[in-house]
This record gives sequence, structure tokens and C-alpha cells, in this order.
Amino acid sequence: MKADRIIVVCIVVLAAVYFYATEQLRTLQIGDPLGSKAIPRVLGVALLVAAGLLLLEMRMAAKTDQPAETVSGPEDQRHYLVVGAVVVWTGIYFAAFEWLGYAIATVIYLYALMACFNRGKWKTNALTSALFSFGSYLVFTRLFGTQLATGVLPF
Amino acid sequence: METLGHILNGFSVSLQPINLWYTFVGVFVGTIVGILPGIGASASIALLIPMTFGMDPTSGLIMMCGIYYGTKYGGSTTAILIRTPGEAASVMTAIDGYEMARKGRGGAALAVSAIASFIAGTIGVVALTLFALPLASMALKFGPAEYFTLMLFALTAVAALSGKSPAKGMLSTVLGLMIATIGIDLASGQQRFTAGVAELQDGVGFIVVVVGMFALAEVFRGLEQLYRGTAPEAMRIVGKLWLTRDEWKRSVGPIWRGGIIGFIVGVLPGAGGTIASLLSYTTEKRLSKHPKEFGKGAIEGVAGPEAANNSDTAGAMVPLLTLGVPGGGATAVMLGAFIMHGIQPGPLLFQTRPDLVWGLINSMYIGNLMLLILNLPLIGLFVRLLYIPSGILYPLIVAISVIGTYAINGSMVELYLVLFFGVAGYIFEKVNIPVPPLVLSLVLAGIMEQSFRQAMTISDGSLTIFFGSAITVTLVIMAVVSVALPFILPKLKKLQGADAQIGA
Repeated sequence: MKADRIIVVCIVVLAAVYFYATEQLRTLQIGDPLGSKAIPRVLGVALLVAAGLLLLEMRMAAKTDQPAETVSGPEDQRHYLVVGAVVVWTGIYFAAFEWLGYAIATVIYLYALMACFNRGKWKTNALTSALFSFGSYLVFTRLFGTQLATGVLPF
Repeated sequence: METLGHILNGFSVSLQPINLWYTFVGVFVGTIVGILPGIGASASIALLIPMTFGMDPTSGLIMMCGIYYGTKYGGSTTAILIRTPGEAASVMTAIDGYEMARKGRGGAALAVSAIASFIAGTIGVVALTLFALPLASMALKFGPAEYFTLMLFALTAVAALSGKSPAKGMLSTVLGLMIATIGIDLASGQQRFTAGVAELQDGVGFIVVVVGMFALAEVFRGLEQLYRGTAPEAMRIVGKLWLTRDEWKRSVGPIWRGGIIGFIVGVLPGAGGTIASLLSYTTEKRLSKHPKEFGKGAIEGVAGPEAANNSDTAGAMVPLLTLGVPGGGATAVMLGAFIMHGIQPGPLLFQTRPDLVWGLINSMYIGNLMLLILNLPLIGLFVRLLYIPSGILYPLIVAISVIGTYAINGSMVELYLVLFFGVAGYIFEKVNIPVPPLVLSLVLAGIMEQSFRQAMTISDGSLTIFFGSAITVTLVIMAVVSVALPFILPKLKKLQGADAQIGA
């Protein structure tokens, strides 16, 4: 229920931003009776309708007997920090992607993640990350002709 | 007679060595994807689209279609051996399949799942062959207003039926439509919501959204489970990979019924394999001579749902091929694949490219046969995939996602968008917002807006065009009912309950 209340607030804020952005669009109503603002306006209203329906659902759920929300301690929230760290690490990987190149950036990214989540098997992790990165690079660029960032590599 | 010629010609297309090869690649990848956690059918089809650009569209689509129905076969393996459905549609199989595995009948559960999938998959393709053309002929009468209302109904039905909350389903649908408004407006040539980013002028690619929300979000969830130590462990296959005479006798009826239920449910937008398998499970429990065995390892509880969720894939191809309107997330990605190959599915496709349509449909007969072979004698090999440490598997999925996304346009902005949608998908799962409606609306938005504008131009800006024919009126009513029903039904049940109490 608490999460749903936050969702409703987020929807209303998003709808306000979306309406504002829609009104900033320039319109050229030549040959188009609707113009480029029409559909976004309808969608903004639909977003508010969704928020209204969610409130209705919350009211209906509150009337029936719902189990009380379990309050989790700080130790239960630690996994969110882990996911956050993975997201940041993935962001760094993407940032270094074109500069280092797919193969090298991927070796580093994979090895670090495997070292954290497949602990104690550093040989397997090192071998897998290196073989996968260079193997997939060669297969996709040479065999499928796919473009991947070269980076610091000469090939 | 002409139709029969097209169907036979379709076999000559699907039996070409190159198409047989791509059917095999598709079903093989599909089985692997179904078994492995992390990449579902939607994400794997999306990731493979760039690899098919250089291919003949028929071969490319045959391969992607193979992945789609191949995942259903693989999904049951994880359901039976680790009680975690590889695909959402295998959720009912996990109940009795896992119990059978615990009792040492895991081999029989896997065997009945493969056989049921094959028989029902074939039933589904036969029905697809029979019903596709009449429906396509009927759809030729559809104008822009009919198409718009049909897509509106598909979106509302998917929104109402995905997940527990219709409001969140609707929210997901609207968010998908909003994402689709980013880019150049085709009617006016105006830029919308691009924030001056040149890469956004062509809009947000559906591959980016699908890879982020399905593959990357699943990686975040999987790594979270690993950290918490809640990742499931796979059981070893015990017992022969075949059925006893009694098990076979008990499975025949559920397989046939499941096949029919799955096809019918598959045709309906929004329902999908999960509802098909749930319906089949409850039907079998009701018809069974020993209903108390259900939940404790009843073979009917595996045979029926597995048949239903495989036949559902053929059913789902009916609206996609004949109307150009997908009924769920995976078929929405399939529609995206068609469009990226420059092909618009719909009734005209049966006239303009019968070789492609019938080649694709007929490849499903062959693909099902290949899957039976892959999933019976070779299942022992595939099961080994389950023993790959998740700590290795999930990072590799990120790297595969990067290849699939970067290969399309070589755009860094798209990589960052994948990350953004990955985080969004993770949060969506935490707060129970379903993702398939978002993907479906994102794929349909362009065609929907085009149909809407065409209809409005025809009617000189009057909305009455959407109430001008029996088809549009029926579809509008169905759309309204699908939104209203989840809110009205609980009230009606409550009133009925109160009446019963007064009567007593």
C-alpha cells in the first residue's frame, strides 16, 4: 500500500511534467487536423486516469482485510545497495565502452562481477571473462560483421 | 485450390536446407533460453534481430519464431527441476512437475512435458493453418477506424489481464505509449520530447526497452537473489525419461484438452500462456478421478498445462499474422522483428507474401518435431546448463545484451537507455507493475496513432467514425468492458454474497 501511494504521487508528478513538455511543443497545423500535441495530451489524461484507478484499487483493498505490512530492518535493505552497486558498475562499464573497446572493457567488467558473485574461483572467473570477451568479439565482428567498439585495440 | 497451392509452396520454403538450419538454430536457442534464467523469449528475440539483418526475411523470421515456441519447451525443464518456471507460462508445471521430481519421477515429468508440448504444439499449428486465412479475409474489410479500435481493445485487454492490478496494467500501457511519442512525429515532422538529443529523433527503439526491462532487470534480480542466498538449486534427473503405461493413459486426455484450450486462449489478446496453463490445470483437476493428487505430483497437472502453454504460441500467431496485432509481450517483439525486416503483418501479407506466411507457419510443424528430438533424448545435455553458476551466467547476460544493443546503431545513448530501462524493469517488478503491456503499447503505438489520424482525416476530425460500424462499436464496448470488469466483478461478487446471506 505504501509503495502504491508512492506510485500515485510519481504518476501525478510525471503527468504534470508531461503536460508541461507537451505545451512546449511547437505546432504546425497544416494538413493535420490534430497536430502533434493531441496524442500526448490524451496520454497525459490517461496517466491521471490510471492514477485514479490505482487509488480506487487501494480503497477497495483497504475495505477488505489486508495483512499488515511487515516493517523490514536496515539489514534487510542491504541487497538494494548491492543492486545499486551493480547498476553503478554497469554504468562505468558503458562509460568506458568506446574508450577501452568492447573486448577489454568487457573482460574487466565480467571479472569484477564474477569475483563478487562467484567467489573463490578466480581461475574460472578469469578464464571465462577473457575467453567470452575476446571470443564473442571475434565471432561477432568477423563472422557476423557486427560493429563493436575497438577502443585501444589495434584490430 | 489456390490456397492449397500456397500451403504446399510454404512447405517447399520451410524445407529448404537454409530454412531448416535456421529453424533448428531458433528452436535450439529457444530451448537454451527457456532453460536458462535471465533471458526470456522477448529479450532473446530482440537481441537476435540485429544478427538477422543480413539474412533473407523469411529465414530470419523462421528463426525468431523458433525461439518463441522453443522457449516454452525449455521453460518446463526449470519448472520441473528447480520449481522456478523458466517462462511465466510454465508456472503451473512447477507445482506438480517439481513434486514428481521429488518423488523420483523427474524423468517422466520431463518426458510428458516434451510429448505434450509436441502434440499440442502440432494441434495449435494445424488450427493456425485452418483459421488464419478465413480471419485474414475478414480483416481485409477493416479500415483505419476498425484497426484503431482493435488495437485499443488489445491494449486494454492486456492491461487488464497482466498482473494482479488492472490499474498498474493500464499505467504500464500508458507509459509505453508515452515512450513511443518520443521522436519525430511522422504526421507533422515535429520533434517531440527529444530534449535536443539527436539519437532520440528516431524514437526509443523497442529493442532497447525490451533488453533493458527483460534481460538487464532479470540480471539485477538474479544477482540480488544470489546475494541473499535465495537462488534456487537444481535437482538431478532421477528415473527413466519415459512414461509408464498408466502415466501415459492418464496424460492423453489432458494433452488434447490442453491443446484446444491453449489455442483458443492464445488467440485472445492479453490472456497468454499463463492463463492458458492455469485454465488447463483447473479443468484437469475438476475432471480428474483423483483430484487430491493435484499439487502432490499428478501427471495430469504437468501434461495439461504444458500442452496448453505450447498450443498458445500457435494461437498467438493468429492475430499477429492475420491482423498485424500482437496479443502479448513476446508477439509484440515478433511484430517489431517483422517491421524491422520491412514487412507489415496483416491480411494483405497473405496476398503479397504467401511464401513467407506459409513458409513461417509450416516451419512450426518441423520446429516442433525438432524440439521433441532435442527435448527427449538430449534433455540430459540441456539440463547441464542449469548447473552453470549464476554468478558467471548473469554477468555474461549483460555482455550479450550489450552486443545486441550496440550492434544496431553503434549508439552509446542506447546503451545508457538500456541501463535506464533495466533499473526501471527492476523497480517495476518490485512494485508489481507488469512489463508486457508497456512493450505491447510501445510496438503498437506507431500504427495506432497512424490509424487514428487516418480515421480522423477521413471523418474530417469527427470522433463518430469510431462508432460508425458494427465492428468498431463491438470493439469499443469490449475495450470498455475489459477495463471496467476487474472493478465491477468484486462488487458483484460481494453483492451476491450479501444476497446469499440474506437468503439463508
